[in-house]
Amino acid sequence: MKRSHGLALFSSTLVLCAAASVPAPAAQPGDPPANIAKIGTVVVIFAENRAFDNLYGHFPGAEGIDQASKESLQQRDRDGSVLSELPPVWDGLTAKGVTPPVTQAMTEHLPNAPFTVNDPKGFNVPLSVATHDLWHRYYQNQMQINGGKNDMFVAWADSGAMPMSNWDASKTDMWAVAQKYVLADHFFMGGFGGSFFNHQWLICACAPYYADADKNPAKPSISVTDDGGTALKLADNSPKSVRDGIPKFVSDGNLTPDFYAVNTMQPPYQPSGNDPAPGGDPLLADPSKPTTLPPQTEPTIGDMLSLKQVSWAWYSGAWQYTLDHGNHTPIPNFQYHHQPFNYYANYAPGTEARREHLRDAGLAGVSFIQAIDDGALPQVSFYKPQGNLNEHSGYADIQAGDRHIADVISHLEKSPQWPHMLVVVAYDENGGIWDHVAPPKGDRWGPGTRIPAIIVSPFAKHGYVDQTPYDTTSILRFITERFELPVLHGIVVRDRAVAAHGEPPLGDLTGGLDLN
Amino acid sequence: MDVDRVVALVTAGGIELTDRRRNAKGDGWSLSFANGATVEVGDDGSARVAGKGARAVARLLDLPSATRAS
Repeated sequence: MKRSHGLALFSSTLVLCAAASVPAPAAQPGDPPANIAKIGTVVVIFAENRAFDNLYGHFPGAEGIDQASKESLQQRDRDGSVLSELPPVWDGLTAKGVTPPVTQAMTEHLPNAPFTVNDPKGFNVPLSVATHDLWHRYYQNQMQINGGKNDMFVAWADSGAMPMSNWDASKTDMWAVAQKYVLADHFFMGGFGGSFFNHQWLICACAPYYADADKNPAKPSISVTDDGGTALKLADNSPKSVRDGIPKFVSDGNLTPDFYAVNTMQPPYQPSGNDPAPGGDPLLADPSKPTTLPPQTEPTIGDMLSLKQVSWAWYSGAWQYTLDHGNHTPIPNFQYHHQPFNYYANYAPGTEARREHLRDAGLAGVSFIQAIDDGALPQVSFYKPQGNLNEHSGYADIQAGDRHIADVISHLEKSPQWPHMLVVVAYDENGGIWDHVAPPKGDRWGPGTRIPAIIVSPFAKHGYVDQTPYDTTSILRFITERFELPVLHGIVVRDRAVAAHGEPPLGDLTGGLDLN
Repeated sequence: MDVDRVVALVTAGGIELTDRRRNAKGDGWSLSFANGATVEVGDDGSARVAGKGARAVARLLDLPSATRAS
């Protein structure tokens, strides 16, 4: 595998070089990369909850577990001492109902190191089995990263050894896709924590806000942090050592002390986890419920695309099924908080924007795949697989989602729109799982832990590992540059913060493309 | 059933806890989860599951949905 050494400025440099030999107006800093208009269709596929090392830690040519220092492989206890061994996975490694189970007792005395779940000489759990979920929350993620040392993932988890788990994914369909195209090995989640927050970062590069939360039902959900504001305040009865159990906090809520929503809140519109108010509008969620987020008004990438009359859609698996029939488990297991536009007033029920842009992908993505086959995708598409196909720990396995996404890719490769297409497959966040690479220092909200991302396109540098630093907002950077959109405020703040820390700038995905 | 035990079992199944507070009577806890389920856990060990995602949560707790159990 080849490796890139280019940074985000690489594409701008290309523009400047080209300008020296071609009689054309000289490119200016901030101009879109040369030939970016060759991309006419952008497709973003957003899977769930895997750290880079969890799936691609042994990918040839990538910065994986094999490149990690000994220090970065070891986990520390809450007092900073190195653990003599990992605690067991409390309640067992496999999800409820899995037979044969991997019980808590079977996970006792694991060495203080990463372990491979499907190791034939170890637990030998196949990729088709769902495993124990882990905390993946805003403050815990920062506490686990511990300033970039990544040595407190076990200490600030609720699942014992589970954060140190990884998989041999070398036989998966998406591994083959990554080998064929581009694996980005320095792609970080845009925000710390969980899916709710990182879906917001995908569309808005912003933290949702709950005005006057201290005067509303959400008041008990306001977190209590330490003086630094980046960690939760420990409760007096919190176990001192990870060997003694799950940490306890004074208040581990969904809101920051200044009322930003950083952990899972429910959409204000149906489909929402919260029912309508008794006698209220059946299209809304009960606003008096403490977990109902008020409608949001920050500009989103959708607003920017509409402003420039660029066609776009958010395709959600099982969206219409859930509206019509309610949700069901284990299939489709629709996830309300994975639908970020459903939190925004601009896409409220009854609006033309909702009808046009929030589309049903069908069960197992069948309607989305039909649009692919028909060459009917808008210029920008986001695709969110339904719950059982998203690879989330606890309720989904890796294999089903991996095969589904690879199948979508195979349809995209055969689509009439393929010759001008860019596809980005990214995970929304790490799912509480350890990764050994320090995230770039950014702003208050992120970036968080490293996640897998695969760039697929006829313009992709085939068989390539792209080292360019990216985060979730890099997807927005590409869309913004390609369609010459106004830049979302959160991207400006993120870029300034990264620069202020002396970090290389975050890229726009063109490091993985050859557009010449 | 202890409230911490309820939280541990449900969240291990991939269903995130979204709210936890003492109930209005002060005799137990009200829990909300990301799939829409609510669980009322009494200090006496009783548990009652309701809401949109009740069936999935009840299965994780080995409880019937929308019924009370100890």
